Amino acid sequence: MKVKRTTDERTLTSQSDATVSEDLGVQRKGLPAEMRMSLVNLGNSMFTWAFWKPLMWALVCIIISIIIGAVIMMYSGYDPLSAYYWLMYGALTQPDRVIFYGTPLILTSLSVALSFKCGLFNIGPEGQLFMGSMAAALVGYLVALPIIIHPIVCLAAGAIAGGLWAFLPGLLKAYRGAHEVVTTMMLSYVAILFTSWLSSYPFKEPGWVSKTPLIDPTAILPHLFGPYMHAGFIVALLAVFGVYILFKRTVLGYEMRAVGFNRDAAETAGINPRKNMALALGLSGGLAGLSGAGEILGYHYRFVANWSAGYGWDGITAAVLGRNNPWGCLLAAIFLGALRAGGNSMSIMAQVPAEMIGVVQGLIVLFVAAPRLIDWLANSGVSYAIWLKKSPKNAIPWLTAAGYGIVGAFYAIGYSVISISIFPLSMMFLLTSIAGLLSFAMTFSRYQTSFAGHFFYVGCWLTAGILVLAYTGSMALALSSLAMCAIGVVVWLLVIALAPKGAGIRGCRP
Amino acid sequence: MRRAILLLLAIVVILVLALLVVALRSPPVILLLLGWLLLTTLQNSTPLVLTALGGMFSERSGVVNIGLEGIMLMGAFSAVATSWFTNDPWLGVLAGVLSGGLLAGVHAIVCVRLKGNQIVSGTGVILFASGFTTLMLWVIWGTKGTSDSVARVPDLYFPGLEQIPIIGGIARLSPIVYLMFVIVVVSWYVLYHTSFGLRLRAAGEDPSTLDSAGVSVDKMRFAGVIISGLLGGLGGAYLSIGFESQFGKLMTNGRGFIALAALIFGNWTPLGCLIAGVLFGFLTGFQYLVQIMTGIDPGFAWLGDYSYFIQMIPYVLVVVALAGIRRSIPPKAVGTAYEKEATA
Repeated sequence: MKVKRTTDERTLTSQSDATVSEDLGVQRKGLPAEMRMSLVNLGNSMFTWAFWKPLMWALVCIIISIIIGAVIMMYSGYDPLSAYYWLMYGALTQPDRVIFYGTPLILTSLSVALSFKCGLFNIGPEGQLFMGSMAAALVGYLVALPIIIHPIVCLAAGAIAGGLWAFLPGLLKAYRGAHEVVTTMMLSYVAILFTSWLSSYPFKEPGWVSKTPLIDPTAILPHLFGPYMHAGFIVALLAVFGVYILFKRTVLGYEMRAVGFNRDAAETAGINPRKNMALALGLSGGLAGLSGAGEILGYHYRFVANWSAGYGWDGITAAVLGRNNPWGCLLAAIFLGALRAGGNSMSIMAQVPAEMIGVVQGLIVLFVAAPRLIDWLANSGVSYAIWLKKSPKNAIPWLTAAGYGIVGAFYAIGYSVISISIFPLSMMFLLTSIAGLLSFAMTFSRYQTSFAGHFFYVGCWLTAGILVLAYTGSMALALSSLAMCAIGVVVWLLVIALAPKGAGIRGCRP
Repeated sequence: MRRAILLLLAIVVILVLALLVVALRSPPVILLLLGWLLLTTLQNSTPLVLTALGGMFSERSGVVNIGLEGIMLMGAFSAVATSWFTNDPWLGVLAGVLSGGLLAGVHAIVCVRLKGNQIVSGTGVILFASGFTTLMLWVIWGTKGTSDSVARVPDLYFPGLEQIPIIGGIARLSPIVYLMFVIVVVSWYVLYHTSFGLRLRAAGEDPSTLDSAGVSVDKMRFAGVIISGLLGGLGGAYLSIGFESQFGKLMTNGRGFIALAALIFGNWTPLGCLIAGVLFGFLTGFQYLVQIMTGIDPGFAWLGDYSYFIQMIPYVLVVVALAGIRRSIPPKAVGTAYEKEATA
């Protein structure tokens, strides 16, 4: 049985008990030697595929999602090129804003990643974030404390409030078996309603908006750079380091990973899974609470009802994209922060709604969930490269056929968008583009039936050309469709003549 | 399980009795209110039951589908959009069902064909659907709140029924509510009395046995996930053009997750889904009832300050219900991708 695992889990399983105790032994010897060791390890691993693969994966997923996003934009009547231009422009010219949006996401993504490592899925960081931010806002204006101590106490209050809010589903999961996905989500709705009530009745500042009074100036986190970025970023970086240490160097982290990897095996090995599960969700909620507290102390200075713009949900995206690795989460969260900052300028300058970013994020998560798609692309790519080198006469026709599929699919989508006013024609082109993608997939993976897929696609072009003539009489469009059909026939004749059934690829597996 | 249901029934009975006692202050209102409560329970439970049944097909075949929230949202949106463009609500329902199936198809490709992580994929479905529907709300109607009003599915009207005291409340009811009961029976029959149902359950309980019997596990799981999408899409379509007549941003409001809870609470059986769904629908209806009471009865005016807590009732009780179940038995292989043994 073949099971795909992340690098971390692979090291976890490959380590026997002896090496683990050695690891713990290293920890007692003191930091310098250990730091040297980890630097050496990092230096060695920098040059391995295992180090770069997750990054490459993430990059490929992002690129595919951006392309699909562009297609959706074209159908909605927006110009994807100008949208992405302003997205890039906004992301690259305002680093303080990128970090500002990224800061809460770093913490919420760590929160999700931490629960994931323990085999749980905390889907409700949004609610924990609300509880944490409310606690921080209340401590910020109700308690008088000196400077420096005040923000620390507020952050702690936020972390505790968020932690308790997630500890409850943790306990329910551990001792009653209540499914944490449902309970954390339900409690998230409860938290949003509860904090709305707190800010509308007991702690309301007079006025129309439901919000608490401003926090004391002593509790404010200082700004670091530009009008947005505040010291919450440092807190987030410390948290990244803390989670990294927790999982790499502590017994608790080891136990949590063991429970996440195989609960029964962990229990047999003498680890208490219930305690670890409850603790993991509690810690996870604490991080989400910290995230909310940092935002209140660094930027909003008060609790406003429903202030969070989906930081909890984006935290899930960042954790998934960062493959639950703390450093990966950091990178992914800053990337999503850049998307948010760029999304603002995109919606102002190119008039594309910022929700487009949400669509792209959803696609990214879907693609990241399917690592085999990327694996398949990478493996086929490598084997094609070898094949191309060994016998170009056979490889070139196949690659041309695959390329014809995908390039034609893009053409078809373009035509489909142009002819959107003539519904049947537009749908025909859409069908053609889907057929093109299928034909590409079949040819690229050298299916036995790729002949059928290819000719269905060629037939689509033919039908589309005839439909164009019937509906519009536009010769240019009709001729280009028929030309695509002709090219398809020629390409496949070449394949049959030169490389029947992908001759010679067998020996080219990577 | 049985104790948990008794516990919840007790809660419900107490709530109703409390309501009765208060309502006795104005006796003629009580029958009206009870009739209204019956109606609103049925209305609110329909999307939950349909979606929970969908989740049941998916989980019985071995695939967790937490994307139901997104599938409902997509179904609700497509139904309204199609009804808006074609002015035919039934075509809208069809579009809602099909779009739900399509989105579930993506989930199935990721989970079954590509053996991806089912929970992550489900989250992706939710994120995509919430972004996409909000974007399209802007593209089609130029608003970020609620769409224009569209033609909704006409209610079935039984004129004679209005004379009967409490039942009179449901003289007018969307046909999809009746359809829901039919679907419960049909899915019970399909799941337990057809070979397809047996194979579907086997895919979720013991896929390697099914495989060695010569049936493709992947095909069964594809079927399960796509049925879940069709039913979830129907639930969403009911929400937007059976119950209301417009689409609002993120209008499902956690119903997909409540449906998942109903599924767990109903122990992965059709009848259980129906009971749990009606129970959670009742809680939602009860919450509306209390809100209305605060408006019309001065004795309840003080509750106005606590309306946020009243809105919490369904969510809190879902958590209580899940915590109250002693033994829930999920399908054994649910959540894990099935890989054929390598033939060496």
